[in-house]
Amino acid sequence: MVAIIDYGLGNLASVQKSLNYLGIKNTITNNVYTINKSSSILLPGVGSYAQGMKNLKEKKLDLILKKEVIDNKKKFLGICLGMQLIFEKGYEPEPTRGLGWIKGEVKKIKSNNLRIPHLGWNNICFNGNFKEDNINCNFYFIHSFHVIPKNKKVIESYFNYGQKMVASVRKKNIYATQFHPEKSQESGLTLLKNFFQNA
Amino acid sequence: MLKVRVIPILTFNGLSLVKTKQFKLPRIVGNPIQSARVFNSRNVDELVFIDIMASKMKRKINLNLVENVIEECFMPVTIGGGISSFEDISNLLKIGADKVLIKTKALNDINFIRDAVNYFGSQCISISVDVQIDKKKYFIQGSKNNNLVMEDFICEMNKCDVGEYVINCVSHDGCMKGYDIKLLEYSSLLTQKPIIAVGGAGNPDHFIQLINSNFYGAIGASSIFHFTQYTPNDIKNLMKKNNIQVRV
Repeated sequence: MVAIIDYGLGNLASVQKSLNYLGIKNTITNNVYTINKSSSILLPGVGSYAQGMKNLKEKKLDLILKKEVIDNKKKFLGICLGMQLIFEKGYEPEPTRGLGWIKGEVKKIKSNNLRIPHLGWNNICFNGNFKEDNINCNFYFIHSFHVIPKNKKVIESYFNYGQKMVASVRKKNIYATQFHPEKSQESGLTLLKNFFQNA
Repeated sequence: MLKVRVIPILTFNGLSLVKTKQFKLPRIVGNPIQSARVFNSRNVDELVFIDIMASKMKRKINLNLVENVIEECFMPVTIGGGISSFEDISNLLKIGADKVLIKTKALNDINFIRDAVNYFGSQCISISVDVQIDKKKYFIQGSKNNNLVMEDFICEMNKCDVGEYVINCVSHDGCMKGYDIKLLEYSSLLTQKPIIAVGGAGNPDHFIQLINSNFYGAIGASSIFHFTQYTPNDIKNLMKKNNIQVRV
């Protein structure tokens, strides 16, 4: 069972709809026992970095998630803000410490004449070490901040918007995407299916 | 590369889908849930769904119906109509809306928009800009005496850091004779935020004309999908032939 973490932010309904459609067992929860019993964890998220961390901490979810993902090595998927929060530091709206599972920071996309947020469908290209999962590579993005990992080895894929930026990262049991697979029709559903198979 | 989005705009009167002409004479064109299902099966880039009577009738949008519409969609959905409180926004986000589209409240209460952006995040607050032309000047339809200058309104909304604009030309609405390219080129200079252009598409060439102009953004359309045989994919295929980056 996949635990979709409810921390008062994010598009929980869309994420759940996709998993239901794929026949993947899931539950929306912030309960420590339910999270403990789950086989995998999905951290969705739409909103600001500081608010996200505040909400996680208020419910002690930062500690609960660390235990399950880092200590117990449960399969983890972070989406959008849920990806950004696993980095060390964000700046939206003020400098804020993140969960720090992956080294690096989350910074505002620098724009000279590009529209921000980066909004719409963009293709991703895979970093050499990772193999493409037989998926259509257009995904839906909507964000103004992007992650900058310290260690380039965790970068699974990039997108291009004025400059090359990180679309997804992968480190052992942790996987995270800047784009929204739950909003990306076929390509997104395929990605979710592949990741949560046997969840 | 970021693709040009082609976005069906579904307008709704509380019961059925309707399509207006110059914001008047709403004509019934179908069932919202069925239409959402069809557009999902056609893999459209995004969908905008607006209850155009909600603010006028001082009522709220029908959440049950919206939920059923969103249920059909595995792509991003923007919902508009009668949004005037945090609770309205939060109710829509909870049932799976990705963005909310606000017009009347934005015209009456700038502080509300600023607060909503701070609370929900800029990316989910879209603003509807319905433009009327009077003596070669652009005004916002629906503002007090219709005399709010478009530049002033967009400038205020930019300051609130809203996430996106939907810009509609009232005189072109439903006429199917092409977009108001001059207006759209001009409005795309007024902001660094994403824009969805609406109003006037009647055939696929109209999309090409707009993209080949100095307008830079996404393209929404409505009548063409109700009253002609063209689908969003027909349009995107033609765009692709014209070397425009689209998702097909």
